[in-house]
Amino acid sequence: MSAARYDAIIIGGGHNGLVAAAYLARAGRKVLVLEKRPVVGGAAVTEEIFPGFKFSVFSYVVSLLRPEIIRDLDLPRHGLQILPLESTVTPLDNGDYLGSWADPDENRRELSRHSPRDAEAMIQFGRLMQHMALAVKPILGMVPPDPASLAPSDLAGLLKLGTHFRSLGAERFHALFKLMTMSSADYLDEWFEFDALKATKSASGIIGTFLGPRSPGSAYVLLHHYMGEIDGAFRAWGFQKGGTGAISNSIASAARAFGAEIRTDAGVEKVIVKDGRATGVALSSGDEISAPLVVSCLDPRRTFTQLVDTKDLPDDLVEGVRRYKFRGSSGKVNLALDGLPDLTCLPGYGPHLRGAISISPSLSYLERAYDDAKYGEFSRHPYMDIVIPSMIDPQMAPPGKHVMSIFVQYAPYHLNGGWTDAKRDAFGDAVVDTLAQYAPNIKKLILHRQVLTPLDIERITGLSEGNIFQGELALHQLFFLRPVPEWAKYNTPIKGYWQCGAGTHPGGGIMGASGRLAALEMLHRTRAGS
Amino acid sequence: MGSAFDAIVIGAGLNGLVASAALGRAGLRVLLLERGPATGGEARAMQFAEGFRASPLSLDAGWLPPVVARGLGLRPDLVASETSAAVLLGNGQRLAVARDVARATQAIAAHSARDAERWPGFVTKLGKIAGFLESLYQLPPPDIDTTSLSELFPLVGVARKMRGLGREDMTDLLRILPMAVQELVDDTFESEALKALIAAGGVQDIRQGPRSGGTSFVLLHHLVGATEGSIRGRPAVKQGPNVLANAIEDVARAAKVSIRTGTDVAEIVVRDDRVAGVALASGEEIGAPVVLSTLDPVSTIRKVDPVWLDPEFLHAVQKIKFRGIRATALFAMDGLPDTTGLDGVVSCTPTTVALEKAYDAAKYGENSERPHVEFSVPTLRWPDLAPAGKHVVVAHAQYVSDKSVGSDKSDGVADRITKTLEEALPGFASRVR
Repeated sequence: MSAARYDAIIIGGGHNGLVAAAYLARAGRKVLVLEKRPVVGGAAVTEEIFPGFKFSVFSYVVSLLRPEIIRDLDLPRHGLQILPLESTVTPLDNGDYLGSWADPDENRRELSRHSPRDAEAMIQFGRLMQHMALAVKPILGMVPPDPASLAPSDLAGLLKLGTHFRSLGAERFHALFKLMTMSSADYLDEWFEFDALKATKSASGIIGTFLGPRSPGSAYVLLHHYMGEIDGAFRAWGFQKGGTGAISNSIASAARAFGAEIRTDAGVEKVIVKDGRATGVALSSGDEISAPLVVSCLDPRRTFTQLVDTKDLPDDLVEGVRRYKFRGSSGKVNLALDGLPDLTCLPGYGPHLRGAISISPSLSYLERAYDDAKYGEFSRHPYMDIVIPSMIDPQMAPPGKHVMSIFVQYAPYHLNGGWTDAKRDAFGDAVVDTLAQYAPNIKKLILHRQVLTPLDIERITGLSEGNIFQGELALHQLFFLRPVPEWAKYNTPIKGYWQCGAGTHPGGGIMGASGRLAALEMLHRTRAGS
Repeated sequence: MGSAFDAIVIGAGLNGLVASAALGRAGLRVLLLERGPATGGEARAMQFAEGFRASPLSLDAGWLPPVVARGLGLRPDLVASETSAAVLLGNGQRLAVARDVARATQAIAAHSARDAERWPGFVTKLGKIAGFLESLYQLPPPDIDTTSLSELFPLVGVARKMRGLGREDMTDLLRILPMAVQELVDDTFESEALKALIAAGGVQDIRQGPRSGGTSFVLLHHLVGATEGSIRGRPAVKQGPNVLANAIEDVARAAKVSIRTGTDVAEIVVRDDRVAGVALASGEEIGAPVVLSTLDPVSTIRKVDPVWLDPEFLHAVQKIKFRGIRATALFAMDGLPDTTGLDGVVSCTPTTVALEKAYDAAKYGENSERPHVEFSVPTLRWPDLAPAGKHVVVAHAQYVSDKSVGSDKSDGVADRITKTLEEALPGFASRVR
């Protein structure tokens, strides 16, 4: 055993691990974070993949980071600076486009061009979704009560939950119930008529899941993406100066300022368990480090079946983890460009290049993309969410050059015949070919191309099956069921062993809520002496 | 308008019969109006070919809540088929799952020993969850906004029932209800035949495929009232399809309910913001202070002058999804090639992928190239529905777009159903009369 003594060891320096470390350190605990890669951040990293070109390699935009975390950890002082991503442009198949702009009047004029009825409905829709996000907000900040428990704290939590739902009033409660259970396509059909609008909006409902826009449950994922708050404004997406890695760095810096120690290139092999209690960790290097608290920021599969021996766990839990769905469905293509893409629908330079470009011309387009994946193929014509970070933050690319980040769905982890280098290239080609239909000059601009399949995402970040949320945001994997019933309160059956990744409530996105809630729960429980 | 009646019930399907019988027994003067020639709605067996009868709309007897039967003083003689469900696998192979768990386990063991081992636990779990739904379904839906204790009381009852399930079953209830039936079967079983057999129960009459969330609930919903060990289908009245409707009609008549068939209601009359009665298609008006409609919500509000309805309420009703996706075909058969295990619900779709692929077309408003066909053979239970030695086959085909009804697109659907049945049950087509 090494001589250094720690109160807590955090396995994995993803943003949730860093948040947990910062909160524990802030409370005076001596914390060590162990990250296997040379950089912290997990899936929120910035890396110079090609000389001079910096990429937010995986996660690329932010809106869900909890404001209380930003406040508590004083992140702006540590470098958090989020630049707004103001617009979304959806190229249409008829050569036109659908724009969504920051200015509400401009936005309304644009939508009226396609459907005056939808422009009217949008005002009410926006208001309702904001109410819905507010309705769910308290739940995001709550340790999930166990509905089967009779413990006073659980009963109090259930009562609080019941009271909260009743306080919403019938109309909002019903709307929330619909959102929790419907498909995003059905939900949006109730509001809008313009297909490309429904498609672009419903795209938020499929991200990170193996669902199509017509699959029930996708409306909840839509809501999950509405919960973002930047400077108090809901549904605002932003781009971190320096890429998403800079967010991780700011949290790491805050954690260090509170006294936490962070080690990179330090992969953990095993959690050491003695007599049903975690006593420390064994590193890949062979070193062992002891601490009374060990916290895994990895996903549930790694937390329960890799870091510890399943023999130390109850069968129910092992079975629950086996059932837990990852089903990675998205890939990422990062391009180093010699110039800017020229969209057929909006030729030349323009403000649209500072926002997102969404390849989602119709609901059927997205649904067909899903159909390919359902049967084990990547989408021949995928959904893509494209941003050009160098337009917002010039330091991301050399002068005159650009970086383009393309989030792609669907790319199933379990591809027919398995992923190979040739399949990866074919997937990259499908992405570029599809983009070229809307921006014909793109192929000539490409200097370098990085294609990441779900398998690559798993290999690099450790996220099982490449699922960006550490497990799907499906109704049966949320709240007190995330990751498994009975063990949704960040603790585990092994004393002193805790979980704090996005595989716990409330789930994925650069949110940090899991890390914060886990840390607060640990502090609460260990203070109480259990 | 003088009111000769205290209440008018529109539609004499089973719900209309039950409602009017109950009101009649409570002493109200009730008029029951039915557009068709007979009461009983979809439960009624009708002649579709010379000497052949069937009730076309359901492969399943449905559920008569015991509280309803008791309330009407009925003691129906309910019997479940021996086989719960079967799936035809091509080449004359079939998997038939009996309600008797030991026999079912034996049949499943031919496909997977592991699945056979897991079967008893699986059906017991589904039975417990369906049992919870059963008690839930006997309560009126709670009003979330209410502050009255009497409204809250049932909610407390539901919560207690749910916790009464115990930790494991309760979390399973909450976990399983929103799941895709595909996930449910994948979590438990490995045999594709068994998975397909179960999954077919999750997509009945819904425009969803087995991989769509919520289809586990559809499976469970149809197990409310089923006997232990069932995966599909509920007990039916032993004496035949019309017996229950006739019995309830008798109760209604005994309670002095007036029944008029062949009577089409054109409008629900509203005066001074309250219901005043109904106007018939014939022009006749009948007054009553209460009108109950058993029609679907959209058909119901279409009978009311919209000036009396709150626009938000109207809007909400118009948002209700109907989306019929099933075509029904009735076959008068000279015989059947092999009836072993065909006395329950029989699916002709041997894999969950084929089930999902049949659904894909529906997403784009088209008819399945290879529809998912299920059938039952009511004559195996009630031989008198056909001449001696002959059979009736009631086939349901999904997914057929509701937009294709009456259009050119509906051509070919019947042929595809027959083709599917012939493939699943070689020798079928040549025996169709």
